[in-house]
Amino acid sequence: MSARRDLAAGVVLLAILLALSIVAALGIGAVPLSWIGALREDGAARTILFEIRLPRVLLAAAVGAVLAASGITFQTLLRNPLADPFILGVSGGAACGAALATALGAARMPGVVPVAAFAGALMATVAVVAIAARHGSIDPTRLILGGLVLNAFFSALILLSLSVIRGSDLTAALHWMMGSLANASWTDVALVGGALAIALAVLGWIAGDVRMLAFGEDDARSRGVDTGRIRLIAFVTASLATGAAVAASGIIGFVGLIVPHAIRLIWKRDFRLLLPLSALGGAVLVVLADAVARGAAAPAELPLAALTAMLGVPFFLVLLRRVA
Amino acid sequence: MSAIELREASYRYPGAARDALGGVTLAIESGSLVSIVGPNGSGKSTLLKLLGRVLEPTGGEMVYRGRAAGAWPRREYARRVGYLPQEWEPVFPIRALDVVLSGRAPHLKRFEWESAEDVESARRALEECDVLGFESRFMDEMSGGERKRVEIARVLAGEPELVLLDEPFAALDLAHVQRLARLLEAIAGTAGRTVVFVSHDLNWSAAVADRMIVLRQGRVAADGSPAEVLTEPTLERCFELRARVIEDGGSRWIVPKR
Repeated sequence: MSARRDLAAGVVLLAILLALSIVAALGIGAVPLSWIGALREDGAARTILFEIRLPRVLLAAAVGAVLAASGITFQTLLRNPLADPFILGVSGGAACGAALATALGAARMPGVVPVAAFAGALMATVAVVAIAARHGSIDPTRLILGGLVLNAFFSALILLSLSVIRGSDLTAALHWMMGSLANASWTDVALVGGALAIALAVLGWIAGDVRMLAFGEDDARSRGVDTGRIRLIAFVTASLATGAAVAASGIIGFVGLIVPHAIRLIWKRDFRLLLPLSALGGAVLVVLADAVARGAAAPAELPLAALTAMLGVPFFLVLLRRVA
Repeated sequence: MSAIELREASYRYPGAARDALGGVTLAIESGSLVSIVGPNGSGKSTLLKLLGRVLEPTGGEMVYRGRAAGAWPRREYARRVGYLPQEWEPVFPIRALDVVLSGRAPHLKRFEWESAEDVESARRALEECDVLGFESRFMDEMSGGERKRVEIARVLAGEPELVLLDEPFAALDLAHVQRLARLLEAIAGTAGRTVVFVSHDLNWSAAVADRMIVLRQGRVAADGSPAEVLTEPTLERCFELRARVIEDGGSRWIVPKR
C-alpha cells in the first residue's frame, strides 16, 4: 500500500479515535453530568461542561499533539529514537523560563510566561545539541546524558525560583513542575492550539526535507536539502511549540517518546506520514490519560505527569535495550 | 565536453591541521567511467563528497557542466548528480522500496508524493541491482551485500547524469560485482551520463574503468587508462606496494609479491 493511502487511513482512524476520546473525557469528572441538561439549559451543568471540561479536554488534545509532533521532529532530526522534549531537557528549559519569569515578578504581565517558556525551550535545545555534537555529528549517548544534566540544572533553577515566589504565583509555579491540566482556560486552549497550528504548518511545509534528514546529514545534503536551514527551522518550531505547551500545562513527560513509537509500530513510514499521525496520536493519549487522572480516584485528582511517566519509563527502557 | 571539473580544489575538515584534499585539478569527460583509487586516507571519499556537493571546497573551484557547481540550485544539482556514501545506516525501520523511492526526492515538488512513474523508476533500479522482490523487506533484515545493492538502486532511481559511488563493490559477492560492473558500463555508455566510483579493489577498478585516478596524500599521483596506471613502478610509488602486474587477455591483475 502506498504511503499516501497509509496516511489517509491513519488520519481517518485516529481522528475517529480522538473524537470518541474527547466525548468520553467530557463525561468524566468530579460531578456526574447530564449531557442533555448541559446542552439544553443554562445552569451549573452547562458551566461545568463549557467552562471547565471542554477547555480542559481540548487543551489536553492540543498539548498531546504538540508534544508528540515535537517528539517525532526531534527523533528524526537527531536520528535518535530516544529523543523527546522531556528527555532532552527542552520541557525543563521551558518550565525553568516560566518559573524564572515568575520569580522576577513578571508573570502577571500577559504574554510574558509563554515567551519566557519559549526562550527557555530554545536555549535548552541549543544546549543539548551543543553538548551532544562531536566532530560534526550528534552522539546518541551524549545526547541523552546532556538532557539528563540539563534537567537537573533546570530543576535546581526552578527550586531556587520557588524559594522567592510568594502567594498565588507559587501555586502557578508548582503547577509547571508538576505537569497538570487543572485550571485550563480558553486562553490556554488558544495559546497551545495556535502554537500547534503554526508548528504543523511549518513542519508540514518542510516535511519532505526533514524526511531526508532521517538518512543523515551528508545524505540529505547530497539529495539537495539545505540541511542547516531546515534543521534550524525545525528545531526552532519544535521548541516554540513545546514552550507553549509547557507554559499552559507544565512538564508532561514521555508523550513525545511513546506516541511516535506506537505510530511507528503500526506505520513504518517516513516523517511526512509520522508527523500528522503522531500529532493525532498524542492528542488521543493525553485526552485519555487526563480522563483517567480525573476519573480514577474522583473527586481526588491524580497527577497527569505521573501517569505519563508510569507509561513512558518502561517504554524508554525497552527502546534503550534496542538502541544499545 | 567535460561533465565536471575541479580547478585547484582543496578541502580541509574543520579543525584539521592539513588539507584532506590539496589543490586537485582534473576534468571528467561526459560518458566516461572513472575509478578513483589510492591508499587509506588519501582523500578519495573527500573528493567524491566534493563532487556530490556534500562538502563545499574550502579552496579552488568546481565547475559542473560549464557553471560553477555552487551556483546550481541544490535540488537541481541533486537531480543531476547522485551520490552513494561509503557507509549509510538507517536509524528507523524502513522498507527497501521506501529507501529506493527516497532517491526520487529531488524530483518531487513540495507536498508532492511519489507518483506511479517514481515507483516505476524505483522498480527499474531495484531490478537493475537484482533486488526486485526485496521491496517490502526491511533494511535491518538484509545482509550487507543486499543492503548495498538497495542503496545503489536508490542512487540509480534518481536517474542522475553523474553517478558517484563510494565503494560500490564492497560487501558484494563476485557475481554481483560483475553484474554491477556491466551496469556501470551500460550507464556510462548512455549519452550524457558519467560514472565516477571510489574503490579499494584495484583489479576490478582496472577491469571496469576506462580511466583511473590515483590519489596520494590528497593529491593526484597518477591519472590515465588502467594500462597506464597499473604498472609496477606506479604501484610502488603510490601504494608502497610491491606487486607483479600480470596481463591476461587485455586485462591486468595485481599479484602481491611475497
